[in-house]
Amino acid sequence: MAEHTHDPQLLKGVLSVLLLHLLAEEESYGYDVVRRLHDVGLTDVLDGTVYPALARLEREGRISARLVASTSGPARKYYRPTAAGYAALAEGIAQWKALVDVVGRRLAQPLDPPSAKGS
Amino acid sequence: MNANLSPLDRLRIERLVWSLDQQLYDLPRASRISTRREVRTNLTDAAREVGVSQAIRNVGSSRELAEGYLTARFGDGPRHSWLAAGVFLMTAMLLTTSFLTEIVLAYARGVSDADPHATGTFSYDGLRYFQTQVTYTFTDGSETHVGGSFGIATWVLLLVGTIFVGRLWRAIPAFRQR
Repeated sequence: MAEHTHDPQLLKGVLSVLLLHLLAEEESYGYDVVRRLHDVGLTDVLDGTVYPALARLEREGRISARLVASTSGPARKYYRPTAAGYAALAEGIAQWKALVDVVGRRLAQPLDPPSAKGS
Repeated sequence: MNANLSPLDRLRIERLVWSLDQQLYDLPRASRISTRREVRTNLTDAAREVGVSQAIRNVGSSRELAEGYLTARFGDGPRHSWLAAGVFLMTAMLLTTSFLTEIVLAYARGVSDADPHATGTFSYDGLRYFQTQVTYTFTDGSETHVGGSFGIATWVLLLVGTIFVGRLWRAIPAFRQR
């Protein structure tokens, strides 16, 4: 997969939906979520952005957590979406698709090459 | 993935976790402990995979991480600080105690200067409303006293100052939304 840098502001807006989607796909703990984000090509999403975002989703009641014992160290905190989380995910996906549709149509329109206006 | 971490690596992780923890005093205790454990576990896993230096870089500074957790807990915008309130209260109490003690001792020194062999009982109102009345007992110039502690006005000022410095009204959810 080609490596691109991503605008942090763009990512910030969609990070919650991405996290909910990943967790809906498979229950995961913090660093595992980071790894899975990197696997889909979002390599510039930092761990320090993801962990507080998970904490926020948990406070909002969109994900729940449970401790699972680990063979390689202390117990890990695994997250999965709640019913409210699944609803937020569905709404987030719909909003994202609508936004991509509108922005995509606009950006697909060809532009005239820069002319020598005013000269 | 299962590379063992050296004691130095673990120390570097602990340093970041400790530094983060020092900035999370405004979180409820259980949440703070849970956050600390989770960050430590995640950092350890990341360090095994990408090395401790890269893992720490990926987390960013402890200050930014703490800010992220505090924002996650309390929302965007200004918020209260129990830490600032506590520091103010302790400092203000220390300075006020010192100031009021000086006032009490100054009166006793005045009596001794006027009569080095003073004997009897004296009363002094001190800084009225800010400290309680002081009663001195002199015996041939030797002095003992009782009273002079914080008065009602001092307690009110300390309370108001603590609330103001810590912006403690924002701890009430209804006020935090504004």
